[in-house]
Parts: sequence; C-alpha cells; structure tokens
Amino acid sequence: MSAQTYKKSEDPHSGSLPDKMAIYQDCLNRFNESPVNPKLCRTLITSLLELLSHGETFPRQEATALFFSISKLFQHPNDSLRQIVYVAIKELCGISDDILMATSSIMKDVQNGSDLVKPNAIRALIRVLDESTAFSAERLLKNSLVSKHPSICSASLVSSYHLLPIAETTVKRFANETQEAVGDLKQLPYPDENSRYYPTTSHISQYHALGLLYQLKNHDKMALIKLIQQFAGHSSPLKNQLAQVQMVKFVHQLVLKDPNSIPQFLPLIANWLQSRHEAVALEACKLTASLSNLVPNDLFAAAVSVLQGFLSTPRVTTRFAAVRLLNKISMVSPEKIVVCNPQLESLVNDSNRNISTYTITTLLKTGTDKNIGSLIKTITKFIHEVNDDFKIIIIDAIRTLSLNFPEECDTILHFLMESLQSAEGSLQFKNSVVEALIDLIQFVPQSKEKALEELCDFIEDCEYNEILVRILHLLGKEGPTTKNPSLYVRHIYNRVILENSIIRSAAVLSLSKFALVKNDPELVESIEQLLTQIKTDSDDEVRDRASIALQFIDSVKSKKDVSNIAQNFIRPTSTYDVVALESKLSHYLSQGQEAFKTPFDVSSVAKYSEDEKKALDLKRRQEQAFNHTEESSNSGAGNGNGTEKGGRKGDRLDDNSFNGPSLESEEEDLLLSKYVDEMSSLEQFQSFGKCIHSSKIVPLTEIEAEFVVKGIKHLFDEHVVLQFHITNTLKDVALDNVEVVCQQEGLSEGLLDEQEEFVLPIERLLPNEGESCYVSFKKLTQNKDDIIVERFSNSLKFQSKELDPSTSLPFEDDEGFQDEYEFDSLFLSPGDYMKPSFVSNFATSLEELPYESVSVYNIVETNTLQEVIDKLVISAGGLPLENSQIVSHDATQHTLKLSGKCILDNTKALLSIKMIKTSKGIAIKALVKSDKESLAEDLSNNLI
Amino acid sequence: MGNFFSSMFDRLLGAEKELRILILGLDGAGKTTILYRLQIGEVITTKPTIGFNVETLNYKNLKLNVWDLGGQTSIRPYWRCYYANTAAVIFVVDSTDKDRMNIASKELHLMLQEEELQDSALLVFANKQDQPGALSASEVSKELNLAELKDRSWSIVASSAIKGEGITEGLDWLIDVIKEEQM
Repeated sequence: MSAQTYKKSEDPHSGSLPDKMAIYQDCLNRFNESPVNPKLCRTLITSLLELLSHGETFPRQEATALFFSISKLFQHPNDSLRQIVYVAIKELCGISDDILMATSSIMKDVQNGSDLVKPNAIRALIRVLDESTAFSAERLLKNSLVSKHPSICSASLVSSYHLLPIAETTVKRFANETQEAVGDLKQLPYPDENSRYYPTTSHISQYHALGLLYQLKNHDKMALIKLIQQFAGHSSPLKNQLAQVQMVKFVHQLVLKDPNSIPQFLPLIANWLQSRHEAVALEACKLTASLSNLVPNDLFAAAVSVLQGFLSTPRVTTRFAAVRLLNKISMVSPEKIVVCNPQLESLVNDSNRNISTYTITTLLKTGTDKNIGSLIKTITKFIHEVNDDFKIIIIDAIRTLSLNFPEECDTILHFLMESLQSAEGSLQFKNSVVEALIDLIQFVPQSKEKALEELCDFIEDCEYNEILVRILHLLGKEGPTTKNPSLYVRHIYNRVILENSIIRSAAVLSLSKFALVKNDPELVESIEQLLTQIKTDSDDEVRDRASIALQFIDSVKSKKDVSNIAQNFIRPTSTYDVVALESKLSHYLSQGQEAFKTPFDVSSVAKYSEDEKKALDLKRRQEQAFNHTEESSNSGAGNGNGTEKGGRKGDRLDDNSFNGPSLESEEEDLLLSKYVDEMSSLEQFQSFGKCIHSSKIVPLTEIEAEFVVKGIKHLFDEHVVLQFHITNTLKDVALDNVEVVCQQEGLSEGLLDEQEEFVLPIERLLPNEGESCYVSFKKLTQNKDDIIVERFSNSLKFQSKELDPSTSLPFEDDEGFQDEYEFDSLFLSPGDYMKPSFVSNFATSLEELPYESVSVYNIVETNTLQEVIDKLVISAGGLPLENSQIVSHDATQHTLKLSGKCILDNTKALLSIKMIKTSKGIAIKALVKSDKESLAEDLSNNLI
Repeated sequence: MGNFFSSMFDRLLGAEKELRILILGLDGAGKTTILYRLQIGEVITTKPTIGFNVETLNYKNLKLNVWDLGGQTSIRPYWRCYYANTAAVIFVVDSTDKDRMNIASKELHLMLQEEELQDSALLVFANKQDQPGALSASEVSKELNLAELKDRSWSIVASSAIKGEGITEGLDWLIDVIKEEQM
C-alpha cells in the first residue's frame, strides 16, 4: 500500500499532495523498524516535509508521535539521512511537544559529526534549546563559531542570532568569537584538484557575523562606532558585499540618531559610492539621499551621478533601485536631480512597468512651471500605450501636480479633459480623472469655470452612470455661483430629456439648486417651468423629486421660509461626518429591537460646513501624501525611525485605490469618539449641557512608561473638563483610587476657577487595563465666548497594591502604599478653540479682516524649521494653506499660512507666520488677523 | 501473512538482525559512561543526558543498537516511547546512592510492567563499585526486590564503569540469554 502512495506522490502530473494519514502511518511504521532502511526513510521524510511546507499540519499528539519516531533514526549513521532528519526536527519543533528529547543526540553530532551534518545539526539544535538548556550548549556553539569551515561558522552565527531572544545571557558571551568571525576569511576545505569544480566561498559568514555582532552591541553607540572603524575603510577585511551593505546600514542608523557624527563618516561614504558592488554603491546613495541637507553638496552630487550611471545599466533590478531612489529624492529636493532628466526620459518607455511608473512620477516632480507643459505633452504621447492601472497612477501624480502648481492649471486641465474624452479607458480610469478634476475645481478656483464647461461637454456623451451622477452633483453645487449659471441649466436639462431615470433624478436635484441663484428672477422662473414639465415624467422618483423641489422653491420665494429650512433642503450648507455616522449607525443597528423604539439620534454626529469639509479634504490629501512618503522612506531606510520629515510632498504611487483618510487617523478619530462617548454618558456631566468641542488625544507620557497617560480637553459652556485616560502596563500591581491632581499655572487670570470642581477617580486599575479619570473646572466668566488659555501640570496619585498571582487580585489585607507619578503638563491652547477652515485666496482674505495682532518669538533651541512648523500647526489649530506646512531642507526662511474658525462663535482667523532661521535660532513673527480683536490677540500671544 | 514469514526468515538467518538494547536508570547512575565504555572502550567525560544517546556496536558478531536514555525525572516519562522491539534492558543503579534505592526500585518495576517489555531480558548493573560505601550486588538486589520478578531472565552484576570491571561479564550473560531465548 505504501509503495502505491509513493508512486502517486512522485507522479508529476498528479499535482496533488500525498495523503496525510498514509504518510503518518508509514512514518511511524518505517522509523520504528530495526534495522531502518535509510533510503526509504529519506523519501518518507521528504513527503512529510512536502506536506508541512504546503501548510498541512498535525495535531499536537500526532506531531509528537512523529517527532519521537523520527528521533529513532539517530541510530543510523548515514549522513544524508541525518541531514534530512535535522530538517524534519526543525519543522516539527513548532508543533510537537517534548522536543528536548533530541537535545543530547544533536549535541553529539555538533561535537563529533561529519562536516556535512554539522551545519544542519547546529540549526536544529537551537530549535530544541530553551533558556535552561542553552547554557549546556555554550561550549559547543563557541567551538563552531571559530570553526574554519565557512558553512559551520555561518550556521552557528545564524543560530546564535536566533537564540538571542531565548537565551540572551549565553549568547552575549559569544562577542569575542563573533568579532573574530567578521574578519576571518574562511575557505571551503576542498582538496586542491577538486576545488575548481566548486564555487569559491562567498564569505557569507562575514555578513552573518556582522549581523550577530550588531545585535550584541546595538545598545552601545561607542562600541558600534568602533566596530565601523575597525571593519570599514580602506583596509577593510570585508569581502562579502552583503556585509558591506550592512556596514552602510549601520552608519545610516548611527547618523539618524546623532546627526553630529556625520562628518567623521564622510570619507567612508565617498569610498562606498565608488564600490565595485552595485548593491553597496546603491546603499551608500540611499544613505546620502536621506541626509540630503546634512552632507556637502559635492558628495550629494557624486551620489546622484552614481545613480545616473545606474539608470543605463542592462540589469533591471539596478535600474529599478536607482529610479526608485531618484523618485524619493525628487520629493524633497527635485532641483538636485534635474541632471538625470535625459536618462530618465529614455526610461519612460522601459519595458518594466515599475521602472517606467517611477520614472514618470519622478519627472513630474523635477518639472518646474517652465517645463511642465512639455512634460505633459510627452505623457500625452505615450499614455495611450500603457494599461489602465498605470494610467491611473499617472493621473494621480498629475492631480498632486495640479495642487502644487495652480498657475499651470490650464495645461493640466487640457490634459485631463483629453484623457477623459478619449475613447479608451475603464470606469476606474475615468473615475480617477473626474476625481482629479473635482480636486482642481475645489482647490484651484481660477480653473473652476473652464473645468465645469469642459465637464458639461463631457456628459453629453458619457456611458457611465456613476460618473454622470457625480458630475451632475458637482454642477449643481458649483454652477449657481458661476458667472453664467444658465449655461449649465441647459446641459443639465438635456440629461433629463435624454437619459435613464437614475440620471434624471440626479439632474432634478441639481436643477433645483439653480433656483436659489440671487438677482436673476428670470432664471428662477425658467427652473420652475422646467421642474413643472418634469412632473409629468414616467418615473416615480423623478416626479417626486421635482414636486418636492417645487414646493421648497415656492416657500423660499414667498418668504415663508424664515429659518431657511427649505433652502437648506435644496442646498445643504453642511454635511455629516460620514465615518462617524457610519459607525454610529452600525452600532445602533446592532443593538436589536429594543433600541429601535427610540429613533436614531443624528445630532450626535458631527456636522461640517462646506469650508470645514474642504479643509478636511485638503488636510486629508496632504496627510496622505505625507504618510505615503514617510512610509516608503521608512521601508527604504530599513528602520522605523522615521526622522525624514522632508519628504512631505509626494504622491501615492504604490497605492492604486483611494481609500479616504489613512487608517491611522481614522482609528484615532474612532478612539476619540469612543472616549467622548464614555465621558458624555457619565451622570456627572449631564447637567453641563452639550460638549462644544473635544480636543485631539494628547499623549502625556512615553508609550513605554509604566502608566501610559493620554489627555483630552473637553470644552463646555460653563466648564472645562480634562479627561485622562490611564493604562496600567505593570504586570503585577493594581492601582486603587487613582486620581489626577491638576495644578494651574495661572495663565487664565481669573477666568477659570483655580480649585477644581470635582475629580472622578478610578476605583481600581488592574494590569493592562485602561480607564479614564476626569477633572472638572468651572469657568468664572459669564461670557461663554471668552477664550481661556491655561497650562495644567499634573501628577497621578494612587495606592499601589501587589497582586496575588493565584487570583490576580490584590491581597486581602494589603493596604497598599500611597504613590505619586508625574507626567507632562496639558496645555489648553488657543488652538483648542480653532477648527480648520478653507479659504480659496489667502492673501485677499487676510487683507479683508479688520483686527490684527502681531507678536514676535525667538526659539533658541536648534530645531529645524520643519519641526517648528509642525508644532505651530498643532498649537494654532488652523488649516495650512498653499502647502505652506512644508519647507525644503535648505530653506532659511519660510511663511506658514493658516486658516481657521473659532469654535465658540465661528469667528474667522487667519495666521501668517514668518520665520527666519539664523545661527542663533529661529525668529518668528506671527501676524494674526481676525473678525474679533480678542481672538487675534489670544492666538498671537499664545502660539508657543 | 507475508510479514510473518519474512520475520521468520530474519530470525533464522539472524545475520542482518540488529538487537535493540535500552540502558535505563536514575540520573547520575553511569548509563552514558557504560555506553561509551562499551563502544570505544574508554571513559569519557559526560554531561547529564538531555534526551538520549544511541550507538551501534558489534559484539561477538552481533549488531547491537544500544539506547542510553536520560535518567532525570523530567525525562523518565519518555522512556516508554522507546520500548518497542526491545530485546533487553540494562538497568544501571548507583550502588552508593542508598537514599534513592526505593525510587530506582519503583521505576524498575513500573517499567517492567509495560506490555512491550514482556519478552525482554533484564540485566542490572550495581554500578560504582569502585566507590567506598557501595552496596554489594546482593544488597542492591534485595533493595530492588529483584527476587519478585517472575517469567523473566534477569541477572545482577557488580560493576565499575570507570575501571571497566563487570561490564563485559554482564553483557556476555545478556547476549547468551538473548541468543537462547529469542533467536
């Protein structure tokens, strides 16, 4: 029977896996035989491994039985059998119990086995070791580390690396041996006459040794620098290119942590750039690129010219790596790689799609307002030759471009319209073009009328319902405010005559909005006529919409509509926060029948006015571009440090789908709304009325701290409530009666009661639990529009109690001891009273506002401009406009433009903050203009 | 049926047959030392066995597959995984360890009750005779209640693995019994 099973599994055409149970039975029978048949056993184990590698698994009991039966094969001295036994043991270790039974036998092979099985034995050994048994293997591993045989040495190095988390103390004692292994050039011990048949050794053990050594030393900066000095440079013993790449990465990590150490590494980097190994040179380029503003210009130029050279190599991977890196540089300092443009242009039609995509986006970045026109012409030529996915990426790149170069909108608009009208392209492609156009209309006002007109032409001949409906909605939204609204009415009404009912209904809604146009009674009248005609439509929905629209228009006209209800229905001035609405609705639906008796309360969902919505959209888009760049630069640098703040402008190249806000910000929003719900459900806050505003979640401790505290500021009409969410990360301690003591620093000057109204403590906080403690303050001022600015210094007071390990509850008689824990102060800043809002023309809006306040700051700390800008954006709470939240690395001055509205009374405020970086620090001059004097002053005086 | 005949032939020919022998006993009794004394004829330095050692040795034209299983409390439960097809068990006792004689006795009798070991012969080494204060073979025999054993060929031999005394004598007896009873 077994023989048949083998046949089946060996038949290449069967394509199916061997039968699991048959293999299991055969293994148990054959491995327990005496004497064993090594050849048969090898075939059997191979089938077993095939099963495992296809994701099949065995229940623990069976896996253990297999393990024991395989361990019996140690009786046979055959080396090949032994090798595969080790592979099988390695695989089974994860799913089998009692793996330590193989320890002694494996150790014996590590000690006395042939060179052939030793590497396998070592790799299997570390799988069966645990912290207590690792000690007994120490001697063996040390001996293998200094072995002259490269495979044995490599195996023991890699194994020690994996053993490190299991038995750190043991592996730490390998430092000297590992150090030796880095410099040692080991040769395979083949006899001379055969050596020409074998590849010469790759010296890979150097790479492995370096990896382990780094793990042992990475907490010690000085040791790391010494390591680099010892093994890099002219007399470097490193022959392996991976090891050299690794060296570059070590330097990279060091300089990221400590930019002051860069000068001492410059000669090394220059040397690496000239390496004959492409990988090493590329890694050095990557390092140089990430330090763009910190290295001398000639070094940067050298790196760029190396990359330029790589652009024309025949090897696809090298070309790809080079163009990817250039793309990254282009996001930060496009001017530095303009020299590569000729080579890049020749790569536009590269047969590898990834390369050509990166090339295009890079070229779009290096473009200036002068050559964008010609670039777009180039793209127009070849866009027909590529498939849709690729087209969408290009459209997205152009969309970003349009936001950065508003003055080029004509060219871009022309290109987009051409893409839209061309016969080819899928729905997704057309959709992305329409999205790009919508962006253009929203954020680049001077393009609005032209774009709308073009879209009107487009809908005359469009086959996609979805796109048509979107465009009709857009026309309805933007059309009435244009110079010549009647133009659009004609186009929209054409749809009513010619299209299906879905589009007809959309067109009716859109038409009714034109009835609100002021100063043109003629137009309103004709809209009414049109709608009356539509009332005879064959479709119910279309008729209904027309009738209700007429009713609304009628009540608006007859001035009965006092509170603008009807007007709001025709043309809503605000929209709901869709994400919050969705989560609230699904929560409501999941509650079941009981809950349906009370209707869904829509007022708990945040509403955004049009300006706020635009502000959010723009912010989202900017964040997305930023996150994407950050992400790609992080993965490129190979570490999660994320200190590269320069690459903010970017586009989402790898990401074909537009998923709305990035996941993280969405998660944070959800978390915030969860906290707010928790707070508002508490009895004590019911009498406070509606919460006007809740700030973002502010981290007040490091996330690795014993107690992780996050703060949220809630503003009420007459109260200020501070919510502290505390997580206990200690494993064996419970905290009782946790409360936060808040001390005011007195900035509010009598506007806020110094003594807190009440504190809601947390009764008990068990390990890994998080709960909120609340501190409430009463406002002393009668005027609820006053802005109260205050800084609270906080400390945590609690009784800590040790836990009884058996019950995981505190010991009965333990009274605990009183303890305190200080954390960062919480600043109720003017920014907390601001919400982002969009203005299309910053300069003129700034002129128009009546009150102004100017203040000057000096920052002595050596922050970069970008860091200061990031701080200001948060503390002022406005929306950055005209991409002014991004500053290039080498800039010495910058103007940040922010726009916002006060949440208390919707007063507008615009901030224009000039900053100049000098050798002494950063000087800041903030100009705040507002409709209200006090708001302007409060904002300008409390920026930092 | 075919299986039965082939095993019959194997028994008759005897040449390719390997004999499985287990060396068991409490930790520190000298099992690993005895194994390597048998295989290479020398005393080696040993560490507590985590798991087992297995060696093949030729003894008087027979191929012996000798399994030395670790004796620590944590490893004893796994002995039974290796009982199948065992021709003989060598149980090693540290003759100086009077305190743990009763534990050794319990482990021994527990093991001998196993179905799979019903036909295997038993050889007990009263080891460490070179040490002062070691119990004699008959005293060890009494401590282990060996007289109770029924339906089994057994023998106890005083031995010193360090000096190499008694090991070959014991093994000679074992081989004779196996040849007589099982082949």
